[in-house]
Amino acid sequence: MWLKHLLTVCGEELKKTVSDTGVLVFFLVVPLLYPLLYAYLYGQEVVHEVPVVAVDDCRSALSREFLRKSDATPDLKIISYCSDMEEARDLMHRHKAYGLIQIPSEFQKTIEDGHQATVNLYCDMSGLLYYKALLSGCTMVSLDMNKDIQIQRLAGLSDRELEVQTMPIENEYVTMFNPANGFQGFLIPAVLILVLQQTMVLGVSMIAGTEYEKRRKGKLVLGGEYTNPIVVLGGKAMAYLLIYALVSAYVLCIVPELFHMPQLWHGTTLFAFMVPFLLSCVFFSMTLSFFVKDRESCFLLFVFVSVPLIFMSGISWPTSNMPAVWRYLAQIFPSTHAVNGFCRINTSGALIGDVLPEFRKLWILSGVYFMTALLNYIKHYRSNRAPELIEKLKAERRMLRAKVRERLTR
Amino acid sequence: MLNREKGVLAIAFREIGRMMSRPLYGLSMILAPLFCYVFFTTLMKEGLPQELPAGVVDEDNSSVSRNIIRNLDSYQQTGIIRQYSNFAEARNAMQKGEIYGFFYIPRGLEHDASSSQQPTISIYTNSTYLIPSSLLYRDMKTMAIMAAAGVGRQVLFARGANMDQAMGFLQPIQMDMHALGNPYLNYSVYLSNTMLPAVLVLMVLMITCFSIHTELKDETSKEWMDMAGGNVLKAVSGKLLPQTLLFILMAAIYLVILYGILDFPHENGFWPMLLASVMLILASQGFAVFIASAIPSLRWSLSLCTLWGVLSIPISGFSFPVMGMPVALQALSYLFPLRYYFLIYVDQALNGIPMFYSAWFYVALMLFMLMPLIDIWMLKKTAYKYTYLE
Repeated sequence: MWLKHLLTVCGEELKKTVSDTGVLVFFLVVPLLYPLLYAYLYGQEVVHEVPVVAVDDCRSALSREFLRKSDATPDLKIISYCSDMEEARDLMHRHKAYGLIQIPSEFQKTIEDGHQATVNLYCDMSGLLYYKALLSGCTMVSLDMNKDIQIQRLAGLSDRELEVQTMPIENEYVTMFNPANGFQGFLIPAVLILVLQQTMVLGVSMIAGTEYEKRRKGKLVLGGEYTNPIVVLGGKAMAYLLIYALVSAYVLCIVPELFHMPQLWHGTTLFAFMVPFLLSCVFFSMTLSFFVKDRESCFLLFVFVSVPLIFMSGISWPTSNMPAVWRYLAQIFPSTHAVNGFCRINTSGALIGDVLPEFRKLWILSGVYFMTALLNYIKHYRSNRAPELIEKLKAERRMLRAKVRERLTR
Repeated sequence: MLNREKGVLAIAFREIGRMMSRPLYGLSMILAPLFCYVFFTTLMKEGLPQELPAGVVDEDNSSVSRNIIRNLDSYQQTGIIRQYSNFAEARNAMQKGEIYGFFYIPRGLEHDASSSQQPTISIYTNSTYLIPSSLLYRDMKTMAIMAAAGVGRQVLFARGANMDQAMGFLQPIQMDMHALGNPYLNYSVYLSNTMLPAVLVLMVLMITCFSIHTELKDETSKEWMDMAGGNVLKAVSGKLLPQTLLFILMAAIYLVILYGILDFPHENGFWPMLLASVMLILASQGFAVFIASAIPSLRWSLSLCTLWGVLSIPISGFSFPVMGMPVALQALSYLFPLRYYFLIYVDQALNGIPMFYSAWFYVALMLFMLMPLIDIWMLKKTAYKYTYLE
């Protein structure tokens, strides 16, 4: 009997979703398109050819070599050679250039004398990536030129000897799990998870808000005839899970594929991890949806939360350096654990054993939010029945009064 | 004009009543921005993350390698939390998220370096966490070069060179980096300055659109228009007036937090930023009124305003520069008020250059304020004959 009710509630909820374009936008259109937009936005991963200006006060062979080589790096592009700093600064102020390379007049002489010469770099700090490009571009050139200068001085040694002389200990850098070391590989996995959670919260709240409005206008809403709150809760949750099983398969597996992002997940691990994530999201959404009193207020209440949430996940500012308050607050959102888990599953091929802490916390959240959602439903049904109870009481009282009056007239 | 039944002021008072009647307004106009202000400014109060958890694999275990590790740990941004006995263990710790990166010193480093065999030190970072990863990389790279220079210097000293000569030989050209306006690479300067206004803009866009369209939904739009004597401009400006004042107050609060309390760079003083913030709010309201008039459906216009508000964060270009985006998005970025605010902030607060350079950005914000003039007549039409669609 209850199973039939469960399936009916689930079916009704699915029907409601499909027929409501507002909810469909949240459940399908946003998850379908928003990740694509983001991936497109950060598609180039890093900035190349940052425009810079050069002021060459030395005008020597070495200074020209330095500038020529800087221009040739993929990071930088010299857009203009200025005669003085004034002119260069003006170009920076006009946002034509984001960096300035200044070579002092005694540059070549200092090097020829065997001392250390300095190149001055000035960087516009409106974006950290300009800084990174300018510094890494010029460092690359200086390392390269340093080697040449040393080799000239050590004429007579073999190539191998030279190399050892100039660099007795070599170093290498391996950026793991995000080979391009770029924005896409770092931000997109977090955005994908957040899109899933937030669209679900918004969609479920919109459904709840609509029902609340209808009830206020005295229209009958499904669920009233099923008095068992667990059945109603379960039926609705089942409907949302069905939708999101498909949506998350698209968002987490197909979107990264479309943009050739690193994907190292193992099917079983990803599946096992998504179960508690989706469950906790569903019950989290259903809990929150009780605060929504009309159809559109979910926008105002929940959209802005995405912004702090992405930071709480620790993907940008490291968790280890957050104030304790925010670290603890972050724990109550499914997205925090899911972002960290998914990042490792997706980009570093972690197995379920490697993400055990997150996996457990998601199950705990699922349990907690199931209880809060259930409590809300129980309360809700009690208050929903209240008018009927009052009606019943009133009717009884009326009967009683009638009887008394009858007796009195007799 | 100034009677209590009609006119701009009457509508403004009516709007105050409407705003007070629902906690939703207070929540989203005051509490939500305040929460974000506190969140972002306290989250990154360190400026640059200190003592990031990192690991070391020291297979050499010599005096040279121990020295490297000790020096590395003394860097402010790097905190060596553990030594791992082999590569696999360290990689595993990184995969579990215990450390953001590790330094690998191979067996025989000291021996190979002093016998001219050129050993290699390896740096591994988890670049899924871009900020900690690049900071650790910076420290580790410096350390690796220093270690090499240390060995090289010893060889040169042994040959009788002094310090100046040794450095002149090892590093003939060095870089002197001047990070204009933000010399300590403070992340909070670089994020909070845009994040706080961005959240406020999102709220302005949504509230403006929401409050106009709820008139239609509640079927009070006729009454509202009648109070303005059928003048839609009066109706809208009366309605938005109390909101504008409240939002300007909220903007003043973030300005005080950023430039007063935290004392972030504000080279040209407080006033250019106050002007920019006030204009940003008016521009966002203008944009939202334009959308609300053009699309006679609460949900669709609110959806578009929300999308605009959320999208303005990445597209303003404060984290990933606009010039690195696809051309289509570069063109789109001109349509976001926050983009101009960000450009003004860079000029006026961070770099402190003459106002004349930023003039066009202020003009652009002004154009957003005028946007409703294009289509506000449509709003009047809908206000008189509208039925709410779900």
